[in-house]
Amino acid sequence: MRAISYAAASEPVRPEELTGLDFHRDLADRYLAIEGLEARWIPIHREGLRPDKETALRLHHLLSLTRAVEESLDSAFRAGHIPGTAFFGRGNEASSVGSAACLRDEEWLVPMHRNCGAHLAKGHPPYSIMAHFFGRADGPSQGRDGNFHVGYRPKRITQLISHIGTMVPIAAGVAWSAKVRRNGQAVLTHIGDGGTSTGDFHEAMNFAAVQKLPLVVVIDNNQYAYKTPPSDQYACPTLALRAPGYGMPGFLIDGTDVLVVREVVSQALDRARRGGGPALIESVSMRLSGHSVYDRYADYADMEKLKLWERERDPVKRYDQFLVEYEVLTPEEIAASHARARAEAEAARDQALKCPFPDPGKVADGVFAE
Amino acid sequence: MSLITYREALSAALWEEMERDENVFLIGEDIGLGGGAFYVTKGFQQRFGRDRVVDAPLSEAGFTGAAIGAALTGMRPVVEYQFADFVTETFKMIVDFAAGNHYRRMGPVPIVFRLPAAALVSGGPYHSQNPEIWFFGTPGLKIAAPATAYDAKGMLKQAIRDDNPVIFIEYKKFYSYRPEDLPAPLRIEVPEGDYTVPFGQARTLREGEDLTLLTFGTTVLEALEAAQVLESEGVSVEVIDLRTLVPLDKEAILASVRKTGKLLILHEARKRGGVGGELAAIVAEEVFEHLDAPIRRVGAAESPVPLSPPLEKAYLPSTAKVVEALRELAAF
Repeated sequence: MRAISYAAASEPVRPEELTGLDFHRDLADRYLAIEGLEARWIPIHREGLRPDKETALRLHHLLSLTRAVEESLDSAFRAGHIPGTAFFGRGNEASSVGSAACLRDEEWLVPMHRNCGAHLAKGHPPYSIMAHFFGRADGPSQGRDGNFHVGYRPKRITQLISHIGTMVPIAAGVAWSAKVRRNGQAVLTHIGDGGTSTGDFHEAMNFAAVQKLPLVVVIDNNQYAYKTPPSDQYACPTLALRAPGYGMPGFLIDGTDVLVVREVVSQALDRARRGGGPALIESVSMRLSGHSVYDRYADYADMEKLKLWERERDPVKRYDQFLVEYEVLTPEEIAASHARARAEAEAARDQALKCPFPDPGKVADGVFAE
Repeated sequence: MSLITYREALSAALWEEMERDENVFLIGEDIGLGGGAFYVTKGFQQRFGRDRVVDAPLSEAGFTGAAIGAALTGMRPVVEYQFADFVTETFKMIVDFAAGNHYRRMGPVPIVFRLPAAALVSGGPYHSQNPEIWFFGTPGLKIAAPATAYDAKGMLKQAIRDDNPVIFIEYKKFYSYRPEDLPAPLRIEVPEGDYTVPFGQARTLREGEDLTLLTFGTTVLEALEAAQVLESEGVSVEVIDLRTLVPLDKEAILASVRKTGKLLILHEARKRGGVGGELAAIVAEEVFEHLDAPIRRVGAAESPVPLSPPLEKAYLPSTAKVVEALRELAAF
């Protein structure tokens, strides 16, 4: 049974109905699907999104682990264990987990720097992430880089560079090789609201559409690009409206509901795997912490709005509530899952803090592949 | 073995590599249907299809990034820019992503960037530049600069088989030169089948005893002409074509300077920020005691590349300028 479906869609939305969208209010029980020039609101029937117990536990573990890993990293930063700076994705957990959990093992993930949950969902071990953040020898980059710039090749997760926007063309290239190899794989990438303003984003979307690539692009619109709100970033009511201009379907969804994210992304991935081409999904959340650990959020953010989202759209709390309300898990099972995630993150952190630093004598090793 | 043009040599290398390895593919603007701005890939799309000879939208950053993404998954893309100058659209892709990727322990990026470069009859500021100056300081990039048809074919094959990103500089000026019009040291027969030219091995175009003239790219022509002039004046000039800038054949450079004791460095790019500065520094650091004269450099004027013929002529290094520098060095 598919609760979210075109069959249940409303009449086409007139463009003027989209002006002045309030993401908190307008995405509460529906999402927007744009196909061709027609946009429709699709109602969400939560009962239909109810996962089986095993899936529910897995998603819960991943959401909770994402929160726990980032909180452990944050406290490790405060204790002086992270060189440089650190960027986290608090508030973005559902978008990261719900999307990457749809990927098959052999498929590639091209994440951005706030997608800790996507790394975990794809199988990047917390110890490896922690060792990387601490600049230690066991991190995948062996101390050469920091933050979620890291990839994890054993699980087909690419690295990224700080130049936001750059990764969308790279993701298109990964999807291009899947297409010419005809291996039936799709590629998932994430980009932020700020990243959509770059030329690279446009070049990649255009290329993906022209080449009909198996690529699903999730825009994690967390309503701030460093200190810049959407109103200074773009003028369209939703970034999903760009999709028909490129010649691909677009979606605007509540990115704080892991089940909605999972549903829409899995449909888009399936379509891509079948040769249906790329899709653009704007997944809205709220960045619940500063841009980086050094950022003073209160200097520029609308703190009332932020508190509202924190209260009502915290992805971890939301999923807890759903599971209880729909009687998928008991409060005891949920508490136990949180405790497990916390313990796993802390064990990984403690172990990573014991990992040696890389050998300074090898500073210039590995510049070239032999 | 036959005498073919530089363009034919490049085409042969690409064709043979595509026949050899199905992971090799070409991407760029107008390369398929149109055969490329300089017709290096004419007829390729008919043979290899649209999936392997990809006509990209006008978006250098986009298709360069896509090629890098494909390389991450084991493909071996060869990216063509219509003119080397347009590679500036793609710096973040090449310099920040591809170059550092292996160092960051994120795997090899086997990719070739083909850059038709340097001056060619009033190309003006955006169709005439020497791109090596932008990449030479970036760790992780190899830089090849073939000056002969033999090297063009063998080095392009080598670049495609290399697991690292390679900046492959092609000289537009050489594309159409008829082999019979070239000076003897550049008139090298090209094998019909497979061969590669290893990177990091300079070629001595002319042996000499009194002076070393280091060069690469278009200025091999001026170097050989000037050496001929000096020979008629009783001065023996050794002319070395570096062929690759990264890796650099330091041993060949140092050995020649140890022998002659005098060094002139010549390249089409400007002296400031040019590769010659680094070459001079290496020689000064490592074989200073063998030098009998100050190191000299000849390069372009310190300006953007001008278009109007008299300005362009004044901008570029000429045989006359090289002869003058050689004479001064010989007399020192």
